[in-house]
Amino acid sequence: MKPTLRERLGVLLAFCNKGRNPYWLTGGLIILGFVLVYLSPRSIPAFLLFVGGSSLAYFLEMKKPARLAFAVLVAIVLVPILGARNIFYLEVIFQIAVFSALALGLNIVVGFSGLLNFGYMAFYAVGAYLWGFFGSQQPFLLHEIPGTAPPGTPFFLAPDWFYLFIFLGIIVAAIVGLILGLPVLRVRGDYLAVITLAFGEIVRQLLNNLDKPLNLTNGPQGISPIQKPTLTPEVVAFFNQIFEPLVGRPVTANQFYNILFYLIAVAVVIFVIIITFRLDDSRIGRAWTAIREDELAASAMGIPANKLKLGAFAVGASFAGAMGVLFAASRTFISPESFTFLASVNVLTMVILGGIGSIPGVIVGAVVVTILNLQVLQSISLWLAQLRQSDAFIPIINFHWKDLSNQLDPSKYQRLVFGIILVLMMIYRPAGILPAGRRQRELEHVDSVIDDEVDSSIAPGAASSSGAVSKGKEDDHV
Amino acid sequence: MSESTHVLQATGVVKRFGGLTAVNKVDFSMEKGRIFSIIGPNGAGKTTFFNTISGLYKPEEGRILFEGRAIQGLPPEKITLRHIARTFQNIRLFGGMTVLENILVGAYTRLSQTAIDTVLRTRRFKEEEARAEKRAEELMAYVGLRNVGNELASSLPYGGQRRVEIARALASEPTLLLLDEPTAGMNPAESEDAMHLFRRIRDELGITILLIEHDMKVVMSISERISVMDHGEKIAEGSPREIASNPSVIEAYLGRGATGGIGAGSAAHVDKLAKEDAS
Amino acid sequence: MRKILASEALREILLPLGRMALFVVGAGALFSAIMFALAFLAQGSGADKLLLETHKMGILEYTLGQLPQVLIDGMTLGFVYAAIALGYTMVYGVLEFINFAHSEIFAIGAFVGVEFLIFMDRLGVLAAAGPLGSYMYLVLALAVAMIASGSVAVLMERTAYRPLRNSPRLVPLISAIGVSFALQDVIRMVESLTTGQFYRVIPTFGNFDERVALFSIPTGGAPIAVNIQVKSIVVIVAAVLMLVALNYIVNATKIGKAIRSVAQDRTTAALMGIGVNGIISFTFLIGGALGGAAGVLYALKFTRIDPFVGFMPGMKAFTAAVLGGIGNLTGALLGGICLGMLESFAGAYLGTFTMGRFGSEYKDIFAFLILIIVIIFKPSGLLGEQVSQKA
Repeated sequence: MKPTLRERLGVLLAFCNKGRNPYWLTGGLIILGFVLVYLSPRSIPAFLLFVGGSSLAYFLEMKKPARLAFAVLVAIVLVPILGARNIFYLEVIFQIAVFSALALGLNIVVGFSGLLNFGYMAFYAVGAYLWGFFGSQQPFLLHEIPGTAPPGTPFFLAPDWFYLFIFLGIIVAAIVGLILGLPVLRVRGDYLAVITLAFGEIVRQLLNNLDKPLNLTNGPQGISPIQKPTLTPEVVAFFNQIFEPLVGRPVTANQFYNILFYLIAVAVVIFVIIITFRLDDSRIGRAWTAIREDELAASAMGIPANKLKLGAFAVGASFAGAMGVLFAASRTFISPESFTFLASVNVLTMVILGGIGSIPGVIVGAVVVTILNLQVLQSISLWLAQLRQSDAFIPIINFHWKDLSNQLDPSKYQRLVFGIILVLMMIYRPAGILPAGRRQRELEHVDSVIDDEVDSSIAPGAASSSGAVSKGKEDDHV
Repeated sequence: MSESTHVLQATGVVKRFGGLTAVNKVDFSMEKGRIFSIIGPNGAGKTTFFNTISGLYKPEEGRILFEGRAIQGLPPEKITLRHIARTFQNIRLFGGMTVLENILVGAYTRLSQTAIDTVLRTRRFKEEEARAEKRAEELMAYVGLRNVGNELASSLPYGGQRRVEIARALASEPTLLLLDEPTAGMNPAESEDAMHLFRRIRDELGITILLIEHDMKVVMSISERISVMDHGEKIAEGSPREIASNPSVIEAYLGRGATGGIGAGSAAHVDKLAKEDAS
Repeated sequence: MRKILASEALREILLPLGRMALFVVGAGALFSAIMFALAFLAQGSGADKLLLETHKMGILEYTLGQLPQVLIDGMTLGFVYAAIALGYTMVYGVLEFINFAHSEIFAIGAFVGVEFLIFMDRLGVLAAAGPLGSYMYLVLALAVAMIASGSVAVLMERTAYRPLRNSPRLVPLISAIGVSFALQDVIRMVESLTTGQFYRVIPTFGNFDERVALFSIPTGGAPIAVNIQVKSIVVIVAAVLMLVALNYIVNATKIGKAIRSVAQDRTTAALMGIGVNGIISFTFLIGGALGGAAGVLYALKFTRIDPFVGFMPGMKAFTAAVLGGIGNLTGALLGGICLGMLESFAGAYLGTFTMGRFGSEYKDIFAFLILIIVIIFKPSGLLGEQVSQKA
């Protein structure tokens, strides 16, 4: 019998996990990837190798401190160095971080609780416009026509309020999440999906139209400039002191902003991952899953389904709110165009591609879709553009590349790519690339006692001893 | 009979669906520590009555008292909080969760961890989770499940799923357990085991059991009292012996040629029961 | 098999016509009454004074003067929405599934019809066609669009929905979203590769742009002339004909009976020997064809189309379907007309009444709000769910 692909992969995995192999493999691939990216900054395979090597720290079996050490090395040292050499990578990884947080938030609603939400970007918009409004000159432009800011208009708040606004973004988005989540109390299934889509569109249309009667959002033009937090020259100098030899040149303050936002984004993502993991593995997470599986049975088990569904909406929204604030500051410009239905579906694609309900899966989804978006599609476009300028042709059918329409630009066909991904995933792999597994617990071996007369471990006295709310009526029961 | 011994009392309970009256003015009371059965032909309103007790339906009329307090119309989660648990006729486990997790979901109302505890992983949280996990394992052992804690609930055979459902219900620390056709689809040996388990739940854990059952052998041998429902109304109540000889009950069953339960075949069985009753 | 009598057939034609008339008159009267009440209340307000300054008439007079035009526009739009809404409602009736990609079926119809007309225009036949000829080409464009949209709808069901028919309900919905997005880009790709641009403008031909003067309203200022564009008449007539035809198919033919039985109970229908897959395909075919025709009519009315043209009309038509009671053909008609009227009224009066503070762009927000409110508070819609006994 020939071994199947699955068996072969199993053997490979077993080898990778043997002895010290995980450490060597992970470390080796990270360093190799790093060196390759360092040397040829435009190469996608090198970048993928780097990302893949880094992800081994999660997927292979190794001790927790080692995992953490690898993660810190990659996140705090290697990526900033690569990013300082080539800002483009920092941008890609920044976006991966932002979208990971968004996808994790959406995953709580869609994956854990099974409530489809097509208007998720509304929460991101709430965060973005929160800082966009208060972190810009907009509060002083309420009575101006969009685009006619008088020169010398001051900013409303000092730039360092930004940090506080990350937390405000969490709170405000959570409140909006609760409000937009109210329909879940009455509506379920596909109707809920449509309602969330409608809510998302209303929010976007309001952003578009609330330039009058009061100019709150500056309309379709969007708000700009939005402040970034302050950066002291000392910090930049300190960074250069340590990393200049590795980067090869000093980093300017402007470039350092990219590193700063990257680090903030990573911090938020770590925070989000921890919260998501912890919620998932608790009575709240179990209740969400139970509601997803069978709402009626869940409520018969004592789960207040409505409260938990609202909670899922609020938690999911809060992640997006935090990232929205970060997004507004990092771009210094926001407009309603960033919060379309397409953007919501984009995040949904990440969740579904990676594995609905699966935390590592969702992150993988965010990585894959973002890289696809920013790098793969772009470079295919670039490659086609180069072919067009060359004399190359396809031999048999005698097709000259220069005859290829310059309208064929893959980077512009995100809808097609994501649409096809969604359909194919639904048909062939609805659980995603890394399907959500249930936590396997270390179980003590308690023997079955169905055939024995009495099991002392659960005698009447013990029956309700562990319950905090038990009513102490054991005596009556005997 | 003093008030306090009646754990569950229903008076004049009416549940309608549009024009159909599924439960019509049912009066009902059961004593603590008993095993009580409701029988009746298909569509008699047994499960509807169950759902009304457990809060899935709101009754249009009538009162349901549990331990002296009115519970009619409360949402199901509040009813579970009052220590009433149930199983379903067509097993409703959370198929995508492990057996252990299913039981932990059952313990939802008995855990006091807050969202803050959860996110901060406080000591209280960890201790409570460990306790809940241990107890879930004990319950698995109690209902006779071996080494399946990490299996998906949906991967278990039918009988195993029934047991998980009972363990899940027990995890909510009920004083009253509602079992909706718990032996449906079981072979005689499995039914025997199940009955044994129900008796132990009552005797060892002191839990009052109300069950709906079709299998007359099970009903007659396990119940101390039986109510018979037909067309949404309670038509008889009494000991198994009284029920077996009640003409209106026999008519309700045999008159329609439904399951041949109470016929001559089980007469001997009833006799045996009567002796047990006397002892 | 009972034979359908001629009188019954006639009834199935006259009944929906009567309903349409009733709905148009009813919805028009209701909206007009509300508008008058608002205008009455707004007398003496800032908006009233502003109108007196600029138009030399009070707000009541202004409202009255605009009304006929608003009603005509609302009716035109309403019939287009109704035609699209029928596609949603039929599929929902049969499969209990929101076919999100129906808006792209509409867009495909619009593009195919417009491309056909552009092609004819290039051949020169369109300009040369007489009045009768131009109508013939429009009918041809409608036919081509219906064939294309119907086929794509059937294909879509085969490939993207049928494999998921027994999956949890949200799975086909996600697939439908995927199809919707993919089709938008397919249209864009095909258009931009073949023509170099992704939007198209319907060629001017025939007398569709002419206006038929109906009457004029004397006012304090300049008299307001009320007229109707020929193409509005064409849109209304074409939509009415198609709606009647569809109603006839569903209610008075053998295949319609099969559709209704599949909608009621798929399993039983299969046991009775009805080819369920075939019926579902047929449902997509006629729903898609209707959507495609609506696309051409939409293009005729609004002239410019782009690959994303389907989204808003699709959402509004879905709202119409839900408002009327999804799964209910008559409901879709009523919902469509209400939505069309609402949009027309909001577009015409909102800006004036709020003195430009809120413009007509809020009409989309209104449509979404209605969708949310109806789903939350009356999910069965105005006429209720009558999946089994449609229309």
